[in-house]
Amino acid sequence: MATRMETSSGRGTATAHRGAAVRRIASAMPAWVWWLAGIAIAAGFPLLNVIGVVETAWLRVGVVSLIFALLALGLNIVMGETGLLNLGYIAFFAFGAYTTALLSSPKFEIHWPFLAVIVASTLVAMVAGFLISLPTLRLRGDYLAIVTLAFGEIVRLTIINLVPLTNGPNGITGIYPPRLFADAKPALEGIEAWFIIDKPLEYYYLVLVCVVVLAVLLTNLKNSRIGRAWNALREDELAAISSGITAVRAKMLSVVLSAGIAGFAGSLFAYYSNVISPESFLFMQSVIVVCMVVLGGMGSIPGVMLGAIALQALPQLIREAAGAARSDFEVYRMLIYGVLIVVMVIVRPEGLLPDKIFRREAHEVDPRELEMTRQSLFDLEEGEKDLEV
Amino acid sequence: MSFDHIMSVTIGGLTVGMIYALIALGYTMVYGVLKFINFAHGEVFTVGGYVAAFSLLAMGIDASTPWLKVAGAIALALVAAVTVPMVLGFLIERIAYRPLRGRSRIIPLLSAIGVSIVLQQLIIIIFGPKPVTIPTLALSSASVSFLGVNVRVLALVIIAVSAALMIGLTYLVKSTRIGKAMRATSQDMEAAEMMGIDTNRTIAFTFLVGSALAGIGGLLVVMYYGSLKYDAGFLYGLKAFTAAVLGGIGNIPGAVVGAIVLGMTETYGVSVDLGFLAWFVVAGLVLGLYVQMVRVPNRRLAHIAADRRTPEYERSIMNVYRLTPYHGIKTLLAERTDALLSVSAVDAVRLMAGNIFLAVLAAVMFINSSARIDTRWQPVIAFVVLMVILMFRPSGILGEAVTEKV
Amino acid sequence: MEPVLELQDVSMSFGGLKAVDSLSFTVRENEIVSIIGPNGSGKTTTFNLISGLYEPHSGDILLKGESVAGLRPDLVHNKGISRTFQSLRLFTNMSVLENVLVGMHSVTSAGPFASMLRLPSVRREEKAMYDKAQEILGMFPGRFSGPRQHQPAFSLSYANRRRLEIARALASDPVLLLLDEPVAGMNPAESHEVMEQIRMLREKGYTILMIEHDMHVVGGVSDRVIAMDHGVKIAEGTYDEVANDPQVVEAYLGKRAADATA
Repeated sequence: MATRMETSSGRGTATAHRGAAVRRIASAMPAWVWWLAGIAIAAGFPLLNVIGVVETAWLRVGVVSLIFALLALGLNIVMGETGLLNLGYIAFFAFGAYTTALLSSPKFEIHWPFLAVIVASTLVAMVAGFLISLPTLRLRGDYLAIVTLAFGEIVRLTIINLVPLTNGPNGITGIYPPRLFADAKPALEGIEAWFIIDKPLEYYYLVLVCVVVLAVLLTNLKNSRIGRAWNALREDELAAISSGITAVRAKMLSVVLSAGIAGFAGSLFAYYSNVISPESFLFMQSVIVVCMVVLGGMGSIPGVMLGAIALQALPQLIREAAGAARSDFEVYRMLIYGVLIVVMVIVRPEGLLPDKIFRREAHEVDPRELEMTRQSLFDLEEGEKDLEV
Repeated sequence: MSFDHIMSVTIGGLTVGMIYALIALGYTMVYGVLKFINFAHGEVFTVGGYVAAFSLLAMGIDASTPWLKVAGAIALALVAAVTVPMVLGFLIERIAYRPLRGRSRIIPLLSAIGVSIVLQQLIIIIFGPKPVTIPTLALSSASVSFLGVNVRVLALVIIAVSAALMIGLTYLVKSTRIGKAMRATSQDMEAAEMMGIDTNRTIAFTFLVGSALAGIGGLLVVMYYGSLKYDAGFLYGLKAFTAAVLGGIGNIPGAVVGAIVLGMTETYGVSVDLGFLAWFVVAGLVLGLYVQMVRVPNRRLAHIAADRRTPEYERSIMNVYRLTPYHGIKTLLAERTDALLSVSAVDAVRLMAGNIFLAVLAAVMFINSSARIDTRWQPVIAFVVLMVILMFRPSGILGEAVTEKV
Repeated sequence: MEPVLELQDVSMSFGGLKAVDSLSFTVRENEIVSIIGPNGSGKTTTFNLISGLYEPHSGDILLKGESVAGLRPDLVHNKGISRTFQSLRLFTNMSVLENVLVGMHSVTSAGPFASMLRLPSVRREEKAMYDKAQEILGMFPGRFSGPRQHQPAFSLSYANRRRLEIARALASDPVLLLLDEPVAGMNPAESHEVMEQIRMLREKGYTILMIEHDMHVVGGVSDRVIAMDHGVKIAEGTYDEVANDPQVVEAYLGKRAADATA
């Protein structure tokens, strides 16, 4: 800490201020433009399919990418905002997916309406998040990461072994497409078709709306006292609790909320893919979501969405274009992800689209200080030592 | 539940535990020096196993090969299984960890996860996705009678070799120059540097030793089980890490103790009846009650200032612990009058909750005393052990050797 | 005057070492009390005990007659004790303004769902917080004006970081302010300015307990001074009384020097 002092004082001349202000306005403007442009591109993409330029397979890739964008947004809450590494995040996704599969499939002949199922899936994942966070949140960062990893594996192995409930490795098939009302009245047959979502295009827009709404809600949350409390905990837990933030409660909120988002995404995933099996919830999937957050920029909402789409859509598009065999392709894809994580944390830990703070100072502060900031991101334990006598 | 069965389960558990210990030492040494979980260590172990298996296959040995040639082949495989992981460990540290040194725990952990994925995919690309299998050798199927039980010779070899390596390692760390440098680096890297210790070299050496041990572990696993899959390192690595934490990470004897406890737990867990296992839970409960009734209250009492140390005050503290839930909860609900009493009440209720859990668990196990845990759940046992130990005693059985400065 | 803070026989040890040994003292309303003592004499441990980072092994700590010993730090803060740290613990990647807003966490109440939807009540609260932050940052004229409020805390000069920590601690309108070496590492002009600001805080009605090594500052602002050595209070009184106490001189300079001055 002591090495970071004595920098950048006395540089605040009037001209620098004015220049900085102009730049800030300039960088504030494109933010809106970028948001709108992003939504427009995402909303316009399926039109390429409608007019026949793009195959439907690519639309499917789009749906999965957007579901992963939801996941990345959820993981970003714990990882980016609160600074807790969760290596078992996919388990909450699994909770949502299996809840949906059980409540809306021939497995137990249950067919709840869409909204009830998606709420139930979210709540089940949130309860799981609450239960896991009760005993674990007092752990320090690296131990928390390993415990969440163990939790993820326990969930996966339980899914495999709990055959009566989950069909084990075979998974649950024939999940009903989402429909808005519980009972189909024969007279409404024609109209009801409008309320059933079963085509990739319909799924695409459903998930896209969810992503946009969630991004807006989370941006609001990030700029509220809750978001600031999370960031404070990430920056310096000791100072945060000494400033009146109840660490366990704030962290629990972040874990439960992110679990709920994963459960929500899992529900959409189960509906969309029709079939779910334990294979979709491997540790590697958790790592992929972590990778999306790191690539996009921890704490940056547009960043993690971009990261999700880049890591989910691009490889698939490349694969489709190259026509490579699936298993071969998976190997190289994971290899590239692994390299990507290592390179990113060493070379550009703030990600591709960094959080506003990083972007702001990237122009105004000398590189030495930027380096120090990078290093202090996630420095939870750094200060604990100087607390002691 | 015959003696023979218990005996063979014990030896099986010890063998598995010793293999975990070999890998766990790598985690614990790196953690001791760098305060960082080398997540890629499991993959280094797999590479060791694969290299050993492929060198055995390359030398074309099978069950009919004369034993001298087999011994030679194993010796060569050993050299390969040590060298390749060492080079790998050295390179990983140099490329993926050293640039991140000084950043706090999570960033290097992310890098380590990246490395782990890269290694796993490289194993698939180089050796293929199918498990590597070595031919059955006379050595690997031989067995001897030990205390009236048939035991695989290889199990005894594994136990002996691992024990010898651990004694050697303890000597290395305790009594040699480089061991002293390692300990100094783990205490305070900056101070060690100022004292003229080349910390970079010391850290590299730590990785070399850890990787070599993991490589030997890989060879032993391949010989013992006859095959190895590309993703074996994930599970072995996690179990070894669990063992290291269980014993107290950063603590070399701790890693061995933790590994043996974990190996035994896993093997016993799925091989004996619940009624038998329940006695272990009962033992845990006795220990838990001792902690709640005697150990913790006495430690609390030791802190009371002399002028407050009246018999009534001491008794009220004792009562909080011994008569929980009644006194403990009463104190919790009462208005705050005394800091020590309130703190003790929270503590006592927490301890009591743990003890009640153990009692219920034991009761459930006694009721279903003839049931057994299905082997399918075996991996879950290790994960549950890991979660429980991290939640209740993150410093492990023997405590972390390298504690934060007080 | 009302006692705000009361320590009664507080003790705390690390292993065998008694860091604080049966320490008792009182801070009364609108008073500035300084704790002095050589390094390792238990001053910062005392602060950590008061602010809840450590729980005392024995004794009690009363804030306006109510025990706060052993409470979690966030609860202690909610009761009205704010502190700064000797080793500067700002939220370095957050902006100056955000740092102050975090300090108001315990006196605001917007919940997660209201915040997500940015309900009118949340907007009102945010606006009130913003105004309050402007008022507090305004106490340090010229230091945190205009665009500087939006710069990350790590871009501040060392002295400004100390000021920002004080501002963050003030954000929750504390009953008692604990300042851990507020002028450490500052040059004489800067420490003089901080001294003036501490005086100003007292005029605004704050009660302050501070640890300080700079005797100029200690003498300049303190109503009372407490000297500690090896975890024990060795002297208490006005600055002049304590500064001339033979035990204090001995603690700082050793026995020979103490004998020579005596």
